[in-house]
Amino acid sequence: MTSKTTGYISIMLVALILGLMLAVQYRVVNRAPTVISTDRAKEIADEIKQIDRDREALHKEISDLIYKLEQVNQGKNEAINALHNELEKTRMAAGLLTVTGPGVEVILDNPGERKGSWLQSDVFIISAEDLLKVVNELWGGGAEATSINSQRIISTTEIRFAGPFLNINTVRVVPPYQILAVGDADALAGVLELPGGLAEFLRSLGIEVTVEKHQDLTVPAYTES
Amino acid sequence: MRFKSYYWILVFVGLVMGIILTMQFRVTQEITKSSPSLERTMALSQELEENRKDREKLKLQVYELRDRLDQAVTVPELGKLKEELDRVRGLAGMTDINGPGVKVTLNDSPNVPQPGQDPNIFVLHDEDLLILLNELKAAGANAIAINEHRIISTTEVRCIGPTILINKNQRISPPFIISALGNPDTLANSLKMKSGVLDLLQVYGIQADVKKMNEVTIPAYSGTLAFNHAKPKQ
Repeated sequence: MTSKTTGYISIMLVALILGLMLAVQYRVVNRAPTVISTDRAKEIADEIKQIDRDREALHKEISDLIYKLEQVNQGKNEAINALHNELEKTRMAAGLLTVTGPGVEVILDNPGERKGSWLQSDVFIISAEDLLKVVNELWGGGAEATSINSQRIISTTEIRFAGPFLNINTVRVVPPYQILAVGDADALAGVLELPGGLAEFLRSLGIEVTVEKHQDLTVPAYTES
Repeated sequence: MRFKSYYWILVFVGLVMGIILTMQFRVTQEITKSSPSLERTMALSQELEENRKDREKLKLQVYELRDRLDQAVTVPELGKLKEELDRVRGLAGMTDINGPGVKVTLNDSPNVPQPGQDPNIFVLHDEDLLILLNELKAAGANAIAINEHRIISTTEVRCIGPTILINKNQRISPPFIISALGNPDTLANSLKMKSGVLDLLQVYGIQADVKKMNEVTIPAYSGTLAFNHAKPKQ
């Protein structure tokens, strides 16, 4: 009789200890990857790189402004020159100047008629959001000017369905959509073609996507109304 | 005979338990080995913080220089040129601007995700903001800012963890306050439209509030205008 109870008690003790150990292990495993994830470190490194790029740009602008100030102080003609220069740069930023430079050309097209498919082709139609995302991704990759089917994208540009057509800058635009972006061609193509990136996602929806790097692209100016 | 089968079960349970424990132990060891050390991550974030501060300093310097340049060119002959520069600066988003408009406040959902539910559907995403901004632009907004950051043409909106980065990695976090300049009625209506943006967001429980304002102030863009690749076409 007594040997039976000691047997039960020992089994109970072993089960208790095992249970505690399991619980502790579970907690440790649960906590470890969230505190120090590889992703987080990579994200931070990425951000540092981006901010470095921004700082470089700021340094460039500072030396540019200092140079213009010196010119202004030299005389009237130089002052006019300096101001013209600043005006041109600001017009570029506002999208009022046609610009050229290296960059990428992205073409998005709806898939052609699917022979024998019972699915209607308009299921796969490119949405305004898809274009918004492509342009957003290009800005994120450091694009300096972009356009869709010769409509320059400026700060107030909308990309929106109005009936069956897409309106950009209140101008009707039809597929195939040709998106031009001036900037570092490798970086721009890189952000789109990232594994698991936007190009891959759009292709998985059945949209035809081509990304091509160019040495020299021309992005048209915004036409002021 | 009965006692024996009882013991066999115990032995079996003990064996399984032992295997599970060793496996767990190994996995834990591997996890701690493969993840980067905490110190390295901390050092990186510190560097990031310093770089951010340095950037702010550089920005202030750019402002000051722009002001000085403006003051230096007060020669009367330059009046017209200066006027044009001011106008274009307005278009480029480099000046403060105020007038009637709307103020939209967005906040993550108060819903606590149930176990097994994806917590991601209750937080705001870059896409949501992109669509909202696009809607405001379509409704004729002249100028927009999120949490005091001016939206210009090159503004990108990206999700990194729980925060959103805009204008070359300026970090913003909820609540997002979006101010837009334009006709308050048109702007508010375009957002509140049936099955419009706000309807969509409310499905996910995201709290949105639209206020028509007699006066909103949209701050100037606080970045640079350096062009490294683009050149004006001759």
